[in-house]
Amino acid sequence: MSPVHAIETVGLTKYYSHRPGPLGSLLERMRGATPPPIRALESLDIAVREGEIFGFLGPNGSGKSTTVRLLLGFLHATAGRARVLGLDTARDSVAIRRRLGYLPSGISLYDTLTGEQLLDYLSALSGRPASRRAELCQRLELSGRTLKRLVRDYSRGMRQKVGIVQALQHDPELAVLDEPTEGLDPLMQRAFYDILDTLKAEGRTIFFSSHVLSEVERVCDRVAIIREGRLVALEETAGLLARRKRNIQMRFTGPLPMLHAVSGITNVEYSEGYVTCRVEGSVRPFLAAIADAEVVDLTIEPARLEEAFLEFYEKGRTE
Amino acid sequence: MNRALLRHTWRVQRAKLAIVSIALAAWGFLLAVVYARFGSQFTALMQSGMLPEQFARFGGGDVFSLAGSIALGLIHPIAISLTSVFAVGFSAAAVAGERQRGTLEVALARPLSRRVLYLSLLAASFGFIAVAIAALIAGSISGAAFAGVVQELAFRHLPLLWLNSVLLFGAFAAIALAASVSFDRLSPALGVTLGIVIAMYVLEVLGSLWPAAAPLQPYSLFHYLKAKAILSGAAAPADLVVLSSVILIAMVWALVVFPRRDLAAPS
Repeated sequence: MSPVHAIETVGLTKYYSHRPGPLGSLLERMRGATPPPIRALESLDIAVREGEIFGFLGPNGSGKSTTVRLLLGFLHATAGRARVLGLDTARDSVAIRRRLGYLPSGISLYDTLTGEQLLDYLSALSGRPASRRAELCQRLELSGRTLKRLVRDYSRGMRQKVGIVQALQHDPELAVLDEPTEGLDPLMQRAFYDILDTLKAEGRTIFFSSHVLSEVERVCDRVAIIREGRLVALEETAGLLARRKRNIQMRFTGPLPMLHAVSGITNVEYSEGYVTCRVEGSVRPFLAAIADAEVVDLTIEPARLEEAFLEFYEKGRTE
Repeated sequence: MNRALLRHTWRVQRAKLAIVSIALAAWGFLLAVVYARFGSQFTALMQSGMLPEQFARFGGGDVFSLAGSIALGLIHPIAISLTSVFAVGFSAAAVAGERQRGTLEVALARPLSRRVLYLSLLAASFGFIAVAIAALIAGSISGAAFAGVVQELAFRHLPLLWLNSVLLFGAFAAIALAASVSFDRLSPALGVTLGIVIAMYVLEVLGSLWPAAAPLQPYSLFHYLKAKAILSGAAAPADLVVLSSVILIAMVWALVVFPRRDLAAPS
């Protein structure tokens, strides 16, 4: 495995038994009927480069959190292996966690502590100074007064901000962020994206698990799409966006152009001077095809990663 | 062990520990005073034959001597319930409760191995029990002094009494923590531990009140708390060995099982 990868998984597989835990398994064996295991992750191969923001996309239950928990050593792989920052997740889990920051999805915090006590405690557990806390709090508008309040009195957005601070305050080499903008208002989301930009500029690696496609599109260099525990795509975000389909609606005054045979154009429909179609990949053949027509109006729907994602998802379902 | 985790645990539990310790001290005080005021009357009542002889041996304690009243104070449901706030409640919730709430993964995302987490929580639990038992004994001494019977107490035996009691409740704490690391939710961990404690208490009390059930007593950990014997200078090291062995077995279970199990996302 290459040492330049912040995260690398090879054939990473995780099956769950129906009754996790030693006592549950024992009870299951005593009953004699062991149901087949749940396949949460199947032979995942990904490599996250150092210094990149890597998006990990998938619908709920697709295996995103299982992957994250395997990387952190919370779960034991059924097969395959994973390395984080050059260290084996099965053997060197503690050493890995010394160098990373983690924001779990829907983070739970110690309600009886104040925000400041909580951050102090988690910083002490990390064994590293909270060198970024002041900057993060300032950017996320977490005032000293707010941090003096009990966590139980925080709104969901405030909890998420504290969650982000606890994950990044010790300036980790790698940040694993699971649904990081959950509960943040648009302004704070922007502030968070700015924080990510800063971290990336400083060479930090971000593993960004999300099902919010627009933010992955906004911040990630590369994106992996996972569905039912299997990797269905892994490529540059720009490449994925370039290949996505665009919905086009046009109105003509003269004869309508014939688009059926044009490369990359599908779903062509004609209706009283209007033409709608879908273009995938390069728009050059499309532009050439309508060059001689009298175009009165032209609308190209802003293409979203969501469509590319849904396309992958639907493709996987029909296969 | 992790100092930050230990400090945090003490800080979070300190108010509860103070309340439990004060309550136990008051209980110890009260029993010593009750013995001083009414001990001779109870003895006369016993000797009159109006009460069955077994009442004089309830759980190894009685109110006919200072040693007996301290022993009764330790084995009484009030003291057991108070001490169980930490021996059972805290210990069973220490991992399973945090798993259920989702805070365990926030702590475990730090460079903290599961074994270190477990040992730190076990140490905290033993610390709480040690303080609580010390408070009960201190309360008994104060009560004895207040009632003017402190000269009946052999102070040199008190450290061993404290150790025996800490080992008994420490054994329950070790069982509770072993259950806690084995389950994802608090209720089964708490249920298993409470079931064990109640079953053992019933065995011990039943055995002490009903001679036919006496052979069941060795199956109860309460049987190995010999407060009265210790205060009378007749301690049996085997009792401490049995309790220590239970702690050790529970620790081995937890240290083997906890690191090997999967910690899936809290549901």
